[in-house]
Amino acid sequence: MNFPMDEPLFQFFYWLVNTPGIGAAVIGLLVGAAVTVFFLTLRWIVSAKNESEEGLSFPPSH
Amino acid sequence: MQPIITAQDRENLVSPLFKFDRQFWMTIAALLVVTLPGLALYVRQLFLGLGVTDLNRPVFWGAYLVNFIFLIGISMAGTVISAVLHLLKIEWRRPITRIAESLTVFGLMVAGLQIIMDMGRPDRLVNTLLYGRLQAPLMWDIASLTLYLLTASFALYLQLLPDIAFMRDSTPENAPTWRKKLYSTLSLGWRGNKEQWARLEKAITTVSVILIPIGVSLHTVTSWLFSTTVQPGWKSTILGPYFVVGAIYSGIGLLFIATAFATQYNHHLKGYITDTFYKNLGWIFIVMSFVWFYFTLNETLVVTTEQETLEFPVMAAKLFGEFAPAFWGMNVLMTAATWILIALKLPVKARSNPLFKTATGLVMTALAAVTFAALSMNIPALHASLVKTILLAAFIVFFILALLGLTGWFQARLIPSTVIASAFVLFGMWLERWNILMPTLTHARIIPYTTYFPTATEIALTISTFGILTLIFVIFYKFFPSISIWEVEAGRAIEQKNGG
Repeated sequence: MNFPMDEPLFQFFYWLVNTPGIGAAVIGLLVGAAVTVFFLTLRWIVSAKNESEEGLSFPPSH
Repeated sequence: MQPIITAQDRENLVSPLFKFDRQFWMTIAALLVVTLPGLALYVRQLFLGLGVTDLNRPVFWGAYLVNFIFLIGISMAGTVISAVLHLLKIEWRRPITRIAESLTVFGLMVAGLQIIMDMGRPDRLVNTLLYGRLQAPLMWDIASLTLYLLTASFALYLQLLPDIAFMRDSTPENAPTWRKKLYSTLSLGWRGNKEQWARLEKAITTVSVILIPIGVSLHTVTSWLFSTTVQPGWKSTILGPYFVVGAIYSGIGLLFIATAFATQYNHHLKGYITDTFYKNLGWIFIVMSFVWFYFTLNETLVVTTEQETLEFPVMAAKLFGEFAPAFWGMNVLMTAATWILIALKLPVKARSNPLFKTATGLVMTALAAVTFAALSMNIPALHASLVKTILLAAFIVFFILALLGLTGWFQARLIPSTVIASAFVLFGMWLERWNILMPTLTHARIIPYTTYFPTATEIALTISTFGILTLIFVIFYKFFPSISIWEVEAGRAIEQKNGG
């Protein structure tokens, strides 16, 4: 049986979890993705145009 | 159809936000008095280093980390409770969702401060990112905490958006210009048309679904800081769920206290946050009490029974040693809290038996407190096993009689009793975090045992922490309504539709 570290995939995983700074890069990616999604969601909500109707103070579904 | 938000509602919910009265300034002053000494001692710690604390090898983590875990716990619950109630479409959630969600955001912000306090050189915080490796549980915690803080803040903002627009349109003429601009900017041009509402509702539901696993992951990952080590007392697979259960349990307690504080601060809110909320969430509180006891028993029983060489001294320190007052104090507080919550659900009966009188209960409480203190103190005269056994038996009898005696008092006061039970749970949960951290750190593997007790700096900063949390809460709710106005309106619309 081969030792897993002989495999390039495991060598990559080893590099991924052991390299200083990669942790911060992953957190940066997560934060960046989350902030982008939240920003786009807000833009999507407020950009909804329906000028013919008056503003409602609570959801019409209720 | 009647107007759903009346002029009285505006007077109750909006007007107080523009009145900086004596009560507001007095509250701020009182909170500053609580907060400032700790901050002054922090500046001292910054100059003199962590030597002003009792932190040393091997006790690297002390009161600051206990506060961190405690705050992460109470934060986790707010948004998760709100998200679960939202997804289940539970109507009585409406007035409390805002407070629940904001507690999460504020709690996480203050929890983050604990890490800075715990670092002798906070300027080195950036090194954790520069040199952080993915294999470190600390990195997982930073990732989870950041993601939860961002998502919870987003959830709070989404929920606030229609109310910010309401504030923009309801700002009194004489309000400062900067405040009008604040609402105008934050409302993002919200008009409340049909399509905007439809999209907002979809976004809130999606975020609610996402928040629950992130919240659970946050507290599980925090527990992995401990359980991925080989230290006795921490090396446990149950720590993750145990942390989550404790988090929800204490989070409900904080929600009750914050809601009672808000209604006490603005009496008009009593018309919106009714007894229904206390009664219904009280049931979930009771369930969480039993789940928490089950987990505590599981953890204690397994380690005590196996008597493993390294694990047992840690447990013995909790059961009989220097951590016994904290361990048994926690259990006593949780038992009292559970009984109070159960008493509120029992039928009220007029009892003539003196055992059920409030005066008897108060006397028994005092006697129970004295015997508990005597058992906790290291008094040589009380070391004899017979004396200890008598004291222990006396404490159990006094404690039971105290709870029985005060039952009538609890039953007659729903909100004060719930707040007392919540305070017991919060203090008990802080002790639980202490009991997880400190016995292991002082009885670490291989190296000699040691002791730890927080210094004045750590105690003052702990008090400051809770002062800062309350300060943020009070200031935030001077700018934004503590009750979701549009949620209340939607609830009334449903009632009208159902002929209520």
